[in-house]
Amino acid sequence: MQELAGHAIDAAVAAGAGYADSRVVTRRAQLVATKNGEVDSVSDSETEGIGVRVLVDGAWGFAGDPRLTEEGARDAALRAVAFARASASRARVRVELAPIAPASGDYAAPVERDPVDVPLEEKIALCLRAEEGMRRPEVKITEATVRAMREQRVFRSSEGARVTQSFVECGGGIDALAVSDDGRVQNRSYPSAHGGSSGQTGWEFVEGLGLDREAPRVGEEAAALLTADPCPSGTKTLVIDAEQMVLQVHESVGHPTELDRVYGTEAAYAGTSFLKPGDLGSLRYGSEHMSVTADPTTPLGLGSFGWDDEGAPARRQPVVEGGVLTGFLASRETSALIGRDLGGSMRADSWSRMPLVRMTNLHLEPGAGSVEDLIADVDDGLYLCTNKSWSIDDKRLNFQFGTQVAWEIKKGKLGKLVRDPTYMGVTPEFWGRLDAVAGPEEWTMFGLTNCGKGQPGQHAHVSHGTSPARFRDVQVGVRQ
Amino acid sequence: MSRALDLAERAVKAAEGDEADVSVHVESSGFARFAASAVHQPTLIRDEAVTLRVVRDGRVGCATTNRTDDEGLAEAARHAAEAADSSPVDPGFAGLQELAEVPEAEGYDEATAALTPEDQAEAAAAAIAAAPDLGLYGYYTSGVTELAVASTTGQAVSQTMTDVSVLTLAASDDSSGYAEATSWRASDLDPAAVAREAAVKAAQTHGATSVQPQTFRAVLEPYAISELLFYFAFTSLNALALLEGRSYLSGRLGEKLFDESFTLWDDGLDARSYPKAFDLEAVPKQRVLMIEKGIARDVVWDRRTAKQAGEGRVSTGHALAPPAQAFGPIPFNLAMSAGDAASVDELAERVGDGIYVTRLHYLGVVDPREGIITGMTRDGTFRIEGGKVTTPVVNLRFTTSFPALAAGLLGLTEEVTLVNRSDFYDERYPFGTLVPAVATDAFTIVGTGSGPGL
Repeated sequence: MQELAGHAIDAAVAAGAGYADSRVVTRRAQLVATKNGEVDSVSDSETEGIGVRVLVDGAWGFAGDPRLTEEGARDAALRAVAFARASASRARVRVELAPIAPASGDYAAPVERDPVDVPLEEKIALCLRAEEGMRRPEVKITEATVRAMREQRVFRSSEGARVTQSFVECGGGIDALAVSDDGRVQNRSYPSAHGGSSGQTGWEFVEGLGLDREAPRVGEEAAALLTADPCPSGTKTLVIDAEQMVLQVHESVGHPTELDRVYGTEAAYAGTSFLKPGDLGSLRYGSEHMSVTADPTTPLGLGSFGWDDEGAPARRQPVVEGGVLTGFLASRETSALIGRDLGGSMRADSWSRMPLVRMTNLHLEPGAGSVEDLIADVDDGLYLCTNKSWSIDDKRLNFQFGTQVAWEIKKGKLGKLVRDPTYMGVTPEFWGRLDAVAGPEEWTMFGLTNCGKGQPGQHAHVSHGTSPARFRDVQVGVRQ
Repeated sequence: MSRALDLAERAVKAAEGDEADVSVHVESSGFARFAASAVHQPTLIRDEAVTLRVVRDGRVGCATTNRTDDEGLAEAARHAAEAADSSPVDPGFAGLQELAEVPEAEGYDEATAALTPEDQAEAAAAAIAAAPDLGLYGYYTSGVTELAVASTTGQAVSQTMTDVSVLTLAASDDSSGYAEATSWRASDLDPAAVAREAAVKAAQTHGATSVQPQTFRAVLEPYAISELLFYFAFTSLNALALLEGRSYLSGRLGEKLFDESFTLWDDGLDARSYPKAFDLEAVPKQRVLMIEKGIARDVVWDRRTAKQAGEGRVSTGHALAPPAQAFGPIPFNLAMSAGDAASVDELAERVGDGIYVTRLHYLGVVDPREGIITGMTRDGTFRIEGGKVTTPVVNLRFTTSFPALAAGLLGLTEEVTLVNRSDFYDERYPFGTLVPAVATDAFTIVGTGSGPGL
């Protein structure tokens, strides 16, 4: 694979590229899904190919080819150069890259038991067992999924970078859908909605999720939601669980701090950001309780690596410290624009896509105390758990998020279950209302595989570690 | 024989099972993406994806590969066989499509297929040049997609499709306008005209002010209604959602739920859309009338949901590839009836006082059973006062009932527009919705956001 990557670099440079990098990727992934006690899908997929990125006269070009042959590598390189040259003649700006030392070395995810090699029978049995635990008369649909993936990625550049990385991921989740006789529908999920949670490690991660252990509670809560009262509207104090905080961090901190969005280059689809380059070091993002860190060195994180997809080394970088914006997620190109070395967040979802500025592992740093301590200091509020719906504007300011379930909090105690909670906010105002984050003992990391961005679209795998957090005076419910 | 069909037939021969079917995607495409009127992330893609489904003693397994040499196909066949052998018997499996004729479909244009990366870059440059006073963001993309499905029943079908789209956002710090166009014929598109439409719209958005959240009468351009409609269709016009009680139509088929002017169907052979002759189980596409003059009539079906429903149900040709069938069947050729309004200006007259919406952003389904969808407006939101589109408005958060919107239709334009709905994730599969602009008396705004612009 290193040799093929080298062929592509040589061909690109010989054709006139001022800079070239290539990624050779092979990936195998499995998905097992069961539903209502039967296997819904057992699938196994493989993909491989080479992606070549070049700069010709300061203009980008990228091409991918599925053939892992010298011919495939050379064709990808020449097509990338031709596309860059076609663009370069009309380019208004010349792309500059912040300098980095050429990367060299290997990286491998820590794995006890390769999840792809775990027998499919074992995966199916786990799913069926977990499903069984969710069954109740009101629960009409039970689902369980587990996934496994391993990927080999080689990176080379015309600057001399030469890296080989091995990634292994697995994860799973369960869902219960309850339907009442009069057609009302409610659902509960564990450990996270929208496909569960994944980690970059071996099958031991899935075993540790305890899908079958949590299943009875998930089924009971889905059934109970059918007869729960609707969530009251009004201005409330919210305690938000770690899983929903993941979504909150992802949407209202992760995306707006992507420096390509800040510079506007994602405006047409994903959107821009309310942040400006000059806000670095001065903008108050939230209260003093808010600290957020990008850390691609976090063990088990889906965004962990040795080097990103342009050869920048993994390093922990603060994004928000004590409520003040102190970092951005960046590439070499955007680092050059801002004049600061902030790179290390360039990732592509496959060999056939160009790397983009992406989240890696973005964490809300823990505070102190337990979730019970957060609840104890609430006179009238809600405890919100597990994402159900989400939407946020193109500048990442105005959001509306919904959770699967909430419990009322009255005088420091959890009260009755309520259904269909939603809350709204404006990003810096909302984070300004943060008055407590639970401690390290409550800090949990979740891995998501569905973060969309780019044209053509790409799905990033990212992780977020969070603790439950408390926000004062938040608008709950929406006007209908 | 197309490359895709050749691959499909080779993979069927490689399959190890009692029965097997294979779907193949072959893609060659280019994206001339631009941002701030400069080229940005131009991407050329070539790929082939082969999905095998094998049946062994009633057990079903799937495998996908892009390794298309004999060794790669053989390995995929082994993976599919292992998956099947590891699974219990699948009582919901409806068997493979029997030998059946598929209709001829349009959707391929030689000139579009022949577009080179240089042509794509030139088209992007033409769009950029047409909006000289603003930053232009978006892309010009064209591609060729070969689809084929073959099986041990003897079914062997293929189709080659072309698609081209231009998407433009013209913007400054305090203004933004949007326009897009799509077709399977590049000659239908004028990238410069699309960019000019976006620039003209942007120029009207300076000085946007806020409005008080409430349920508005509103005009929605095709870009906006297309997105709302597709989210509703994905969650409610899908037989799996219907059978599981998650659809707005669950238990409501036959009822008059919407305004009489609302008729909706899916027609894979409509040449105004992205024509498709068959689905990814090789079932011939059928036209499905889903809403007739406001009455809920039907949803789309695949073989599995048809079997589950019984009572003589058959697939309407809307299956995804086997590994993705957990989503249920999807209507990829939605078309909405036209109305009698000559223009969006006439729709504004019918609204009287309300808001005008060009485009939506980041939709989320709050309650699929009730068809409640949230999102933001962007890049061209205006007041309608006295029957005229007047002053610009900031981006608005809506949380609205699609059924209420469609029950309160005040008018539809005579003209319908094909709006691209693909964001080009994974394998290329062009699809869009044919929609008019609409006026409604029920579009619920629940909050306000930032102004237009970057």
